[in-house]
Amino acid sequence: MTATATALQAEPVLRRPASDTLTGTGTMLRLVLRRNRVRLAVWWLVLVGLFAYVGAYYKDIFNTQAALDAFATLSNTPGIKALTGLAAAPATLGGAVWTKIWMTCALSLAFGVVFLVTRNGRADEELGRTELLRSRVLGLHAYSVASWLVNAALCVAVGAGVALTSAALGLDPAGAGITGSLVVGASVTGVGLVALGVGAVAGQVTSTSRGANALGSVVLGVFYVLRMVGDLGDGRLTWASPVGWGQEMQPWGANRTWPLALLVLLAAELVTVAAWLEARRDLGAGLMPERPGPAGAPARYATPLGLALRLQRGPIIGWSLTVVLCALLFGSVVESMTNLLNDAGSMPAMLGGTGVDALLSLLVVMIAMVTAVFALQSAVSLRADEASGIVEPQLAGALSRSRWALQRLLIPAVGTAVLLLVGGAGMGAGYGSVIGDPGQTSRLAVAALAYWPAVMVLVGVAVALFGWLPRLAIPLTWGVLAAMWFIVIIGDALHLPGWLLDLLPFSATPYQPFEPLTPAPLIVMTLVAAALVWSGLDRFARRDVQPG
Amino acid sequence: MPAHEMAVEIEGLEKSFGSVHALRGLDLTVPAGQVTGFLGPNGSGKSTTIRILLGLLRADGGRATVLGGDPWADAVRLHRSIAYVPGDVTLWPNLTGGEAIDILSRLSGSLDPKRKQAMLDRFELDPTKKARAYSKGNRQKVALVAALASEAELLLLDEPTSGLDPLMEAAFTESIREVKADGRSVLLSSHIFAEVEKLADRVTIIRDGATVEAGTIAQLRHLTRSQVTVVLDGGADGLAALPGVHDLQALDGHITFAVDDAELPAVLAAVARLQPRSLVANPPSLEELFLRHYGDELAALSGGDR
Repeated sequence: MTATATALQAEPVLRRPASDTLTGTGTMLRLVLRRNRVRLAVWWLVLVGLFAYVGAYYKDIFNTQAALDAFATLSNTPGIKALTGLAAAPATLGGAVWTKIWMTCALSLAFGVVFLVTRNGRADEELGRTELLRSRVLGLHAYSVASWLVNAALCVAVGAGVALTSAALGLDPAGAGITGSLVVGASVTGVGLVALGVGAVAGQVTSTSRGANALGSVVLGVFYVLRMVGDLGDGRLTWASPVGWGQEMQPWGANRTWPLALLVLLAAELVTVAAWLEARRDLGAGLMPERPGPAGAPARYATPLGLALRLQRGPIIGWSLTVVLCALLFGSVVESMTNLLNDAGSMPAMLGGTGVDALLSLLVVMIAMVTAVFALQSAVSLRADEASGIVEPQLAGALSRSRWALQRLLIPAVGTAVLLLVGGAGMGAGYGSVIGDPGQTSRLAVAALAYWPAVMVLVGVAVALFGWLPRLAIPLTWGVLAAMWFIVIIGDALHLPGWLLDLLPFSATPYQPFEPLTPAPLIVMTLVAAALVWSGLDRFARRDVQPG
Repeated sequence: MPAHEMAVEIEGLEKSFGSVHALRGLDLTVPAGQVTGFLGPNGSGKSTTIRILLGLLRADGGRATVLGGDPWADAVRLHRSIAYVPGDVTLWPNLTGGEAIDILSRLSGSLDPKRKQAMLDRFELDPTKKARAYSKGNRQKVALVAALASEAELLLLDEPTSGLDPLMEAAFTESIREVKADGRSVLLSSHIFAEVEKLADRVTIIRDGATVEAGTIAQLRHLTRSQVTVVLDGGADGLAALPGVHDLQALDGHITFAVDDAELPAVLAAVARLQPRSLVANPPSLEELFLRHYGDELAALSGGDR
């Protein structure tokens, strides 16, 4: 026995026994479930509930084939194709529900899974908790595998919930069984599983949880945009995106199941790559080695603005690139979309209007949405810095709280204006070069800039929450954005009064260039934003600094 | 010459977090140009007090004056003359230690590159490493270098040596002596009596958010009682009867007893006459000290509100 052990040790034993790498997976499964039980339950309830709500509402209002046919005609627009995709069988009840909610449901699950995988992976590693766990009898992959299993279970549970809800509501055509319901559930699960793989790899490649979330989100964004361009064109690029594979399962249409195999295979491959990377790197490390940095800082870092610009350099560059790429892409496809529209021989109503200007207005809103995410990410960093305790050494310097906060808020304020201008101008330049009208550049730049007050209202909400409810500020801020997004997407299904929908900052902004520019709502929103920021900062100056 | 006689004056300070009473009438003074030790067990309210002195928290009651100003209202002006070292140092993970030192120094006033370099050398800190690669001790050094390189009139140090190795503790001791020689004031919070004893002119001891003892080191000498173990071939004749000796126990020639530090010279002379084969003397831990001197009051205090 001893001799065997010695002989083994004499060899260069680099490979650990495979079975050892999973020791303790059961314990970790219980830990992951315990730590995430509320989150898992909320994600499941929101996603399945959303599907059930829209399903029940549509079943109620589309009670004749004529109503379904009318809805299918209304939905057959470039805008709907771009945003949510169009169902394969748009004139069926299931198809109508699919057009309305499938993309929201699948993408929300995808983002949720990426965030959950990071939370139970790279984030814990960054904070040193994984080190503590791994010092006990715990296999190399045990924690990751436990997290992946729980997240996979969430994907399956959401898919099963969607399928069951769909079958129970009777979304399938009479006499066709529940094949469509099963396929729609499976397609949601499949997209979620691929996101799980994306999150797993992102957590191995980057060395910070922010980096992992950012990388995972960007990959999902690329999937979304690829299928958007594919759906608007000949459909080839749709097949380049796993989200597109989910769409191409075509529930209630072709009812394909084989794209599910593609999704599961890709997910398995991504997870295998993640495990392979995990076995080959040091705990705490990413793929990029740490390099020495400067031994001193320039004087501008001592101002809150200078320091924040340095610390948010990565996100600022990333969001600028995102906006520019989106703008150029949108600008270049507007013309072909409009041609499709004319080929169809009709000018169907789209979100808020008809024709090319309505389409341009919709794309401007999308650029404003992306900009809003940047602005809020920058605004919630006020609370993030307070929670981590990093603000205390700064406030222990000769620096007032309001000066600190106001300088920090210059980044979302000025950054939003710049991104909107660049996004609108980029889209206008792309579109203008296609149709030979350079005037589009300034026209769309102004249209996009009109969303500045609306984004500032959201920033104001974030700052007010930071002042008054610091411990809840970050989740509530993102919750407000998500709620706004959901209301815009499914607002009609919520029976919300029109005046309430019109009060949302994005709806209150003139829908340019489709609608004329009216200054009154912009002035009112700017004042509301200023009041919210003032209230939040005034409260922050009077309350205790609260870490944690 | 410092402009104020007292760098810090606190009277009857109160602070609650929800239902938790963190400070209950705390008193504390830091005379200008002196090092004041601020002793208390974990969770006794030391960090809360310091964070009130920095204007990060607002006191619920009582009075606090820092360098003649109100720590909440005059925070920005006062902070030009204050350097702070937190007990748990958080840094920007993707900036280097050197960058963090420059930022913190400039935030309180001026940055003297020569002093910074001198302190970096003294604490053997590599300023080019990213903060996320630093150990706890090295993060502590970043905050210490930033504070000690400054010209601040008042240093607020919250358990500044936690995580430092003994060599670095010696460097810290040397630095604090230089600060004192410059006529600057230091509030040094700690739960280690020996550290405070080495540096402080005065000591304030708190427990459960209230001051239980304050005075010069000499005045508090009666609080310290060392634990002595000697191995004697003969008996421990007469030791138990000496003034200042308590709890004497003998087992197989190993004699253990506690002795008031004020009586230590006389007791050691008596032990020497007994020709001991070995002798070990340990200073008491702060917790032992509390249990011995304040056990009754503490029991009453805790019983009163729980």
